[in-house]
This record gives sequence, structure tokens and C-alpha cells, in this order.
Amino acid sequence: MVTQKEKKSCGQVVEEWKEFVWNPRTHQFMGRTGTSWAFILLFYFVFYGFLTAMFTLTMWVMLQTVSDHTPKYQDRLATPGLMIRPKTENLDVVVNVSDAESWGQHVQKLNKFLEPYNDSVQAQKNDVCRPGRYYEQPDNGVLNYPKRACQFNRTQLGDCSGLGDPTHYGYSTGQPCVFIKMNRVINFYAGANQSMNVTCVGKREEDAENLGSFVMFPAHGNIDLMYFPYYGKKFHVNYTQPLVAVKFLNVTPNVEVNVECRINAVNIATDDERDKFAGRVAFKLRINKT
Amino acid sequence: MGQKTPQIYSVELNGAKDMKQTDKGDDKDKYRGLWSTCLELRKNHHKEHVTKEIDLDDHKLSNKELENKYHTNIVTGLSSTQAAELLARDGPNALSPPQETPEIIKFLKQMVGGFSILLWVGAILCWIAYGIQFSNDKSSSLDNVYLGTVLALVVILTGIFAYYQEAKSTNIMASFSKMIPQQALVIRDSEKKIIPAEQLVVGDIVEIKGGDQIPADIRLLFAQGCKVDNSSLTGESEPQPRSCEFTHDNPLETKNIGFYSTTCLEGTATGMVINTGDRTIIGHIASLASGVGNEKTPIATEIEHFVHIVAGVAISIGVLFFIIAVSMKYRVLDSIIFLIGIIVANVPEGLLATVTVTLSLTAKRMAKKNCLVKNLEAVETLGSTSIICSDKTGTLTQNRMTVAHLWFDNQIFMADTSEDHFKQTFDQSSGTWASLSKIITLCNRAEFRPGQERVPIMKRVVVGDASETALLKFSEVVLGDVMEIRKRNHKVAEIPFNSTNKFQLSIHKTDDPTDKRFLMVMKGAPEKILEKCSTIMVNGQEQPLDQSTAEAFYTAYMELGGLGERVLGFCHLYLSADEFPETYSFDVDAMNFPMSNLCFVGLLSMIDPPRSTVPDAITKCRSAGIKVIMVTGDHPITAKAIAKSVGIISANSETVEDIAKRLNIAVEQVNKQDAKAVVVTGMELKDMSEDQLDEVLTSYPEIVFARTSPQQKLIIVEGCQRQDAVVAVTGDGVNDSPALKKADIGIAMGIAGSDAAKNAADMVLLDDNFASIVTGVEEGRLIFDNLKKTIAYTLTKNIAELCPFLIYIIVGVPLPLGTITILFIDLGTDIVPSIALAYEKAESDIMNRKPRHKKKDRLVNKPLAVYSYLHIGLMQSLGAFLVYFTVYAQEGFRPSTLINLRVEWEKDFVNNLEDSYGQEWTRYQRKYLEWTGYTAFFIGIMIQQIADLIIRKTRKNSIFQQGLFRNKVIWVGIASQIIIALILSYGLGSITALNFTMLRPQYWFVAVPHAFLIWVYDEVRKLFIRLYPGSWWDKNMYY
Repeated sequence: MVTQKEKKSCGQVVEEWKEFVWNPRTHQFMGRTGTSWAFILLFYFVFYGFLTAMFTLTMWVMLQTVSDHTPKYQDRLATPGLMIRPKTENLDVVVNVSDAESWGQHVQKLNKFLEPYNDSVQAQKNDVCRPGRYYEQPDNGVLNYPKRACQFNRTQLGDCSGLGDPTHYGYSTGQPCVFIKMNRVINFYAGANQSMNVTCVGKREEDAENLGSFVMFPAHGNIDLMYFPYYGKKFHVNYTQPLVAVKFLNVTPNVEVNVECRINAVNIATDDERDKFAGRVAFKLRINKT
Repeated sequence: MGQKTPQIYSVELNGAKDMKQTDKGDDKDKYRGLWSTCLELRKNHHKEHVTKEIDLDDHKLSNKELENKYHTNIVTGLSSTQAAELLARDGPNALSPPQETPEIIKFLKQMVGGFSILLWVGAILCWIAYGIQFSNDKSSSLDNVYLGTVLALVVILTGIFAYYQEAKSTNIMASFSKMIPQQALVIRDSEKKIIPAEQLVVGDIVEIKGGDQIPADIRLLFAQGCKVDNSSLTGESEPQPRSCEFTHDNPLETKNIGFYSTTCLEGTATGMVINTGDRTIIGHIASLASGVGNEKTPIATEIEHFVHIVAGVAISIGVLFFIIAVSMKYRVLDSIIFLIGIIVANVPEGLLATVTVTLSLTAKRMAKKNCLVKNLEAVETLGSTSIICSDKTGTLTQNRMTVAHLWFDNQIFMADTSEDHFKQTFDQSSGTWASLSKIITLCNRAEFRPGQERVPIMKRVVVGDASETALLKFSEVVLGDVMEIRKRNHKVAEIPFNSTNKFQLSIHKTDDPTDKRFLMVMKGAPEKILEKCSTIMVNGQEQPLDQSTAEAFYTAYMELGGLGERVLGFCHLYLSADEFPETYSFDVDAMNFPMSNLCFVGLLSMIDPPRSTVPDAITKCRSAGIKVIMVTGDHPITAKAIAKSVGIISANSETVEDIAKRLNIAVEQVNKQDAKAVVVTGMELKDMSEDQLDEVLTSYPEIVFARTSPQQKLIIVEGCQRQDAVVAVTGDGVNDSPALKKADIGIAMGIAGSDAAKNAADMVLLDDNFASIVTGVEEGRLIFDNLKKTIAYTLTKNIAELCPFLIYIIVGVPLPLGTITILFIDLGTDIVPSIALAYEKAESDIMNRKPRHKKKDRLVNKPLAVYSYLHIGLMQSLGAFLVYFTVYAQEGFRPSTLINLRVEWEKDFVNNLEDSYGQEWTRYQRKYLEWTGYTAFFIGIMIQQIADLIIRKTRKNSIFQQGLFRNKVIWVGIASQIIIALILSYGLGSITALNFTMLRPQYWFVAVPHAFLIWVYDEVRKLFIRLYPGSWWDKNMYY
């Protein structure tokens, strides 16, 4: 009985909606008169204007607490991560030797990546520093004094420099170069004044077998202390990140090989359970040969 | 059900039509109506029983035929084995409780009701999303499975919780309905045995005596002076004589049948059980109640409305942003996950559980004040009640005849009628009073049950009818030990009251040893008594009864009768010792004593007086805008008198008849608009159309329905409900149970109420006191206000939970607030505070405003939603975003960097994402930062919810008017919020599954300025509402 009473016909519903949208008797549009709408709009204009101003002000105040130079906190970056180049989806370096297109994109990326490392560019922009010690540049009383960077010449990468290299970093021959770099962290003194280097291994036993031999550039995968510390992108404009190139010489073809490279430095832990890229990098290498 | 109900009601209308008149002579027609209702009802609901039930002809059968029919023996009874067989066949002799919804259905209902459906959809979407991910990439993370499981768990747990709460409140009732098992004296195996009444079977021979409840429908085989009270069946309070003769074709009218659950008032009887349990007449009426559909409670409607609003917002925003996300070239899978997030953010998961807790807290509070709530939602219903249809007897009145007035020496004296009257203050020095008191004491057959010396007089159990009981108690109070007086005045002869001669007479030896005369005392209908008198006693002296004294008598008689009181006349005569020596043998049949020229002594009038607390309660109801309508089976005059004395008809309002009498014009000539009050009798009601009834209900503020039948009660309730009123009905008898069920809230009497009434009701007044209803109304209104606050509080943070998603989708910042974290707000920090609001005191006198309009004053109205969502909610979001941006900026990601960072940010293989300073981040480092962001946003919301909680204490008054510290529970709530947040951030900081991290202490304070802003803004809002009531501001900002 109740339900019958309350059920409205479709026409009634439409009629009610029409009346809601424009009620000619009361001159109400969507349930409000013109004045009421004006009030409402004015109110929200003022109210939201005020809120925007308030938020902007608090944000501005907050940004005053943050310096341009160094972030306030770096607790999350105590251990810099490692990363490889070429940068691929899911860190899979797949090389189909016979298919030039498959590795062509890697080569292009690497060409682009290594361009700033060209000796000419380095010589023009950066200093020659003394190896084996940190290149510290204190402000010496001048606030945020611009910092100089040390040269890392492409030629240091030897066979992997890709300079005058018909094998395209070895990709065309199935002996690819993979470049390892360490994440930049401001004011981080990597290695704690002792030398450090990158080493690579196959992840499991069979990986190690399949991986075969490789050579590293610079020799032993060394990273020099002179590239540290990093002073931040604003003041350390031409900073050149040190690289370690690994050239895999005889990877077992048509097998996926899990490679893990890690940095051996006194103050970089590489055994973080949760962060698989803290001080190390794992990637897959697959050389497809027919 | 909806299809069936109209039929039932139409049947009842017919049933009502059958009742030609409700005057004494036609009482029997009332039964017919009831009977046909029963039969019709059975046709509708229990078709299978129809043929079996109609042929109740046991009253026509002779004893022999009965014996044969039931294979029993009137002298020896059934054998135990027979009885056991029959018991196994028919089941116990008890009314089966109304059909309960199976527990599992109740449980499942909790699982799919409210927001649960939305959350289930969310959970299933999660699993689907994982399925898609998994089919693409076997190593995809299990996050979505977890989330789906958590959502499902949330639904199941809140469902279990709500179910548990419901079950708990039902249990209160279960224990309540366990009554003391009734006993029956039965003849079995030729022996008299006392067995529990439940074990009676058809064919059993039972014996009953005055004071017993009739244990089943019985056909009387032998009766001596047996009278029964059928009021629980018919609402008729006159005792009905019972004998073993077959007097009427209709089983309900014949004298030789006694009905289950009616009471035998006096006499003894032996009867054969002919129907047991649900097959009894009362069983059928009880099932009528279960036939009346249960209306949805107002609060359930409100919550449904609220759920619709929130679900509407959730779904429309969800779908809108799904479309936006898809058109922004997000993957469909991601868009689905956004959709889930939006749903979770929008749904206040904990709210329904909170509402349940709040209601049960109030229910507990009400139980302490003698209102036992059966159905949790009924807690609020009482608050929105706009009409109370109150029974008279027992609810408004004390349900016992009490001497109200006396007339002797040409003077009316008033007696004290309050509940515990100890002393009567009228003038007792007159000699007339001495004589009158003697008659009252002696001409009375009622007796106290022995062994009650310590019980207050008014509470003692008496064997005897209502008037005699009243007189007995009255004389006990005034004179002291009545039984002793009776002993001293030995009774030698007696004629009990009967309806033909309308008097009662007894002859006593006096306690004065010097006076050898017999004293004849007589009481009865005043005019009959006066006829027999030739003298009247004035000031202790007999005077001849002349014209003027007779006139004085009639004036007094009319006056007392006009008060709706039952008037009795008293006279006596000392029989001369010469004519009636001590050895004289009186013969009551031959009447060998004088029956005229007696001496009239006085009048005494009795009424069932109103409870002393009722007038005050009625006044409170009136100021609270609640209309109190009296619906009674009693005489219109009595009803009106009681209505006047309790204030249902206020002192200065008149009925049409009153005006006619005052102006001395015909009733038809009176302008009906002038009359504020009306007394409608059942007869008039019967002839009224629906429209006419509606007109009566709307045009008179003060209404009394008298002489109504149970069916008419139902019609009145429906009439009130047609006015969009929320109707409360009070009642106690089985006959009230359909109306109790039909009402929005049925209130049964805990002491006087029958089980059927209690079963049909939503609330039980433990002290049978109308005043308790007023407390209930107050609590109900308060809970409605406080629920508003709770909902406003809860809805606010939904925006703060939703905005992160919207910003995330549109601006592409790393997700500011995770879905799991949202659940920790909704089901963690926010729970205790929202319950705490239930303890908030009323802002103003809630009993001075009108009851809310069922359809206009919604729990969640537009201003509430707009203010919570678009004002405070938005401010809160800004505050929380400030904390979020602070955390990111101080860690290296300035706000400008964050924009459109989402895609790179979320790529698992990007382990060298550059921040604003040129530093590079691994995925895990970013993830950890993201969790820190969640925690920061969470803390931001939590801090501002504290401000939100404080501002929600009031809707209109300043917090300082309300008192910041008056509601201590609020502070418990705030403490719980902070403690839970501390535990989540610091205690569980290392459990990354929950996505909480240790947050630097200073971040806890970033949102404090916004919290203060919220408080200040709300104070300003309230200030303007108070300053400009009715203004544009008030209309748009007061929720």
C-alpha cells in the first residue's frame, strides 16, 4: 500500500525535475532564486579566495624553511643506489645480435648518454682534479659559491667508450658494454676516504657460469674519490657522474643471465633487505644468437 | 506483504462494522467482529488451517459428546500416556513467538546493507585488477589482493559487529519474555495434579478458581459464581459471568467457554481443554499482530537517505574520475584502482558501526530510566514522535479503582487518590461517617489474600472485583484492620450483587454487646438504593427524606457521575430486636426482612485515578509539540473526565457539546472552529470515512477516542500516519498488539502488559508510567541531534581523504594518502571521537521545540553535507596537503618537482629518479618517502579532526557556551586519536605492510594553524547564525 502511494510515474519525475531546474512560480533556478545564487557565488568566491590565499601563505612560509642549496633532510639517502645504462624496461638488456634494430635503440641511448663525457666537453667545462682525494670546495664565506666539477673523460671508458668503435659498444658482436653509475647524493663522501670499486657477479651459480668473463673500465671498476662530494644541481652545474663500464666478453648466448653489480665502499652498505638497489644493481642480460 | 495488508485492513473495517453498538446490551457484537477478523485473518495468512479452525462447536456439545470427541473422561481425566501422545502431536500449550528471521539471514543482511555493497564492489575490483595484472605479469605485487582482502574484512567485521549489537539488544528481550511458568491444576489418571500450563493438551480436565489465569481455551463443565475478565481479549473491563450452559451459537459469546490468558476473577470452575497454544483465540489475535507489516523506523529511513547521498557522491565522483583518468590516457587498470581508492575514501566505513553503538548507548541510558528498547532504532523514533496515542487504563491511570469522592451530610468530600495515599483528610467527625464507614466495611465481599501484613495497603492483592477492592482498601486505610471489624460484626446473611437487582446486602450482628439488634447494610446503584429509603442520615441523625434532600442527592449524584466516576449509594437499617430476635433465621431467597424504609447514609464514588506524574508529563509533551490522543475502550464520560484531569483536554478548552451546553444552543449550531477538544466514540468513528477521520485528527488539537475496539485503534493509528505523523502507541492488552505493531513505535507496559503486547512493541515501559515516555522523547531527540554531529564529523574528513586521489590523478603528484591509511582513519582514529559526540548534552531545551517533520527535517540535510564537504572538509584537505608538501620539500622534492612526477615515480625499475636538488632516488627510497607522506597526511587529518570534533560539539552555540570540558568523553576521544596515531607512527613504524613510518615530531604541528582556522571559522559561522536567525546565512549554514 505504501509503496504504491510513493511510486511516481515517469512523467511526474520529469515534471518535478523540470520544476527543479526552473521554477517559474518562484523564479528559482535549481532551487535557488537569482539573489540567492548571487549570494552563494559571492560567498564561495570570497571564501575560496581566502582559503587559496591562506594555503599559498602557509606554503610560502614552509618553503622558506627549505634551502635552495641542500635539502633539509637526507636520511632516506644514506645509501646511494646503483643504476645501469642503457636504461631499459625492467632492467633487461636483451641483445639480438642479428637484429640491428633490437640493440640499435640501446646504442642510441648510450650515444646520447655519453655525449657530455666527450673529452672536448669535459676539457671545456671541468677541472682536472687530483685523483685519490675528495674535491672539496668550501664556501669560504661566500654563500652558495658556484662549484666546479672534475673531468671524467669518455676515453677513460676504453673499449666501452664507443669512440671509433665499429662494434657499437660491443652490441653488434654480442659483447655488450653495460655502464654502472652511482646515484648522486649531496654532500656524500663515498668511500670514506678509501678507494672503492664496482664488482659484478652472476647472481646464482649457473648465472656465474653463463656470464663468462668481462672487463671493466676504468680498470678494476674503480671510482675515484675526486668526484665527491656532490654539491647539488644548482651550484654544481657541470657535475659529471663517474661511470664504470663492464664489457661482457663471452656470455652464453640464448640464456637469461642475472647479473648483480655492487659497489665496494666502506661507508656504503649493500645488504639492505628491502631496497634491492642500495649500493647494488641487478639486471638481466640476454644475448640472442642464431 | 504490501499486497496482503490492504486486505487485512479492509477486513478489519468490516469487522468494525459488525459492531453495531458498544453499549452493554450489544457487547456481544463486538465479539462477532473480532471473530470474523480472526477467521478472515486466517484465510489470508494460514490458508491451510481454515477448514480445521472454523468448526469450533464444542460449546454446543453435551458433556458426553465432548468426552467422546476428545477421548477423555470428565471425572478421571486423560491418562498420562494419552496426554503425552497429544502433547507430542500438538506441541506445548504456549503462544509461539512471532516468526523470527533466521539468524543467518539477519547476519547476511548486515553484510550487504548500507555501504557494504560499495565496499564489496571495491574488494572485487581489487581482485579483478590483480587478476589482470597477474595475467600480464606473473610477478606483479600482491598489494591489490591485500587491499581487497582488507576491504572484505572491513565489511565482514563491521557486519559481525552490527549483528552482535542487534543480537545483544534482542537478548534483553529474550530474558524479559521468560515469564514465571504458569501452573495448572489438572485431573489426570483420576488424580489432581499441578503441572506447568505448557503441558496441557486438549481433553485435559482443569480446575480454576478466582485469581487464576485460564491456562487454555476451555469448555466449562461446572462453574460456581465464576466471573472472568476478558479485557485482554476484547478490551472490555466489565467482568463476564461464566457458567456451563450453552447460551449462544457464537463460541465467543457463549458463556460456557473460557479463553486462554483471560483471568478468572472469582468463583471456581472445571473445564475441558479444547484448544491449546496458537490454536486458541488469543493465539489468533496474536498472529494478527505479526500480520501487520513492520514499518521502517524513521532513523532507518534517515540512515538510508544518508547512505544514498554518500554512495551517490562516491559513485558519481568515482565514475567521473574514472572517465577523466581514462581520457587522460591512464591505463584502464590504473583507472580501476583509482576508482577503488575514491570509493574507499568516500565511504565512512566506521560510521554505521558508530551509529549502532551510539544507539545502544542511548538504549542503555533509557533502560535505566525504565524504557526498555527492544529495537535499537526505536531509540530515535520516540524523539521524532509527533502523536502519542495513549491507552487510558494503566498508562494514564493507576489501573485500580480508588475512592475519589464521598457525599454525606449534604456535602461532597474529596478523597486522596494519589498512588500511595496513607491518610484521608476529609472530615471524619460526623456521625454519618461512622455509619457510612460501617456499611462500607461490612457490605463487602472482597478480602485481602492472607500473608500480606507487611505489604503497603495499596499494593496488597485482593480477591474480589475492582469496586469492592477499592472500598476494601479505602476502609482499611481509614479504619484500620477491616477483617477484624468484620469478625466482630458477624455476618448472618448476604445477597451478593447481581445485575438485575443492582444492590448488595448483608445482615450482621453488631459489635456493640449492649445492642442486640441486627444491622442490615446495603450498597448499590444510588437510585435503586434511594428508592428503598424513607429517611436520610444527616450529621448522625435520621431525618425524613423529603423533596429537598432528594434533590440534593440527585445533584450530588449527577455531579459525581459527570466526573466519570462510578457512584454507589449506601444505606442501612437496624432491625428491631423484637421482630428479629437473635435466633432469627434469615432466608435470602424468601427475603424475610424489610426491604423498604431504610435509612440512606451516603454516596461514594470511585474512579481509576490518573497517575500523579501524568499531568506534568502531558504538559511536557505539549510544549514539545507532541499531540497526545487518548484512545480507550472506556465510557466517553469517564474518558473525558480523565482526559481533563491529566490535561489531554486542557482546562480552558471545550468540546462542541460543552459549548452547546454553555450557550444553551443545539450542538449543530455550534461553530466547530470554536471547539478545541473533541470526544469521538467508537460508534461515531465507525460511521466516519477516512477523510472525516483525517479532518477530526487535523482540526482538533485535543482528541479523545472512547469506546473504541482494538480494530478501531488500528484505524486511528493509520489515520495519524496519513498526516505524516510519527505515531507512538501505548497499550498493554493482546488486543492492542496490532496497533502497537502498526505504530511507528509501539510502547508496551512492562508490568500490566501481556506478552503479546510486549512482543509487538518496540519499547517496554518497565514502570508502566507515561512519564517515562517523556524521558524517552528527550533521549530520542538528543540522539538525533548528536547523530547529526557524528555524521557531520565523519563526513568532513571524507573530503580530506578524497582530495589526495583527485590531485594524484589530475596533477600527478606521488599518492599523498594510501587506501589502507584511509581505513586506519575511518576505523581507527575516528571511531571513539564520533561515539563521544553521543555524550554531548543538548544545546538548548530540546523539549521546547516541535518534533521534527519526518520528510523535511532530515538527519543529513543539504547544509550539513555542503558545510562538511565544501567548507570544513576542504580546509582540512588544504591543511593535510600542507603537511604532505612539507615532508616532500624537506626531503628534497619541492612542490614544483612533484607535479607530473607520478609515472616515473611509480616505475619499479627507475632507481635513479632525480629530485629538486639533483640527488637520485631508488624505488624503495621513494616508496619509503611516499609512506612518510601517507603518515604525514594522516597526521594532518588527525590533528584537524581534533578541531573538527571540538567544533561539532555544538551546531549553533559557541563552544564556550557549551563548555569545552563538560563532555569528558570528547577528551577521551581526542586522547584515543592521538594515541592511535602515535602507535601507528612510532609503534608500528617498522611494519611496512601498514605503510606507516616514523614521522618527525615537528610534522605533527604543521597542520595546527589550519586546525585553529577551522575552529575560528566555525565560531564565526555560529556567531552569525545566532546573530541573524532566519537570515540567508542561517538557512545555508545551519545544519
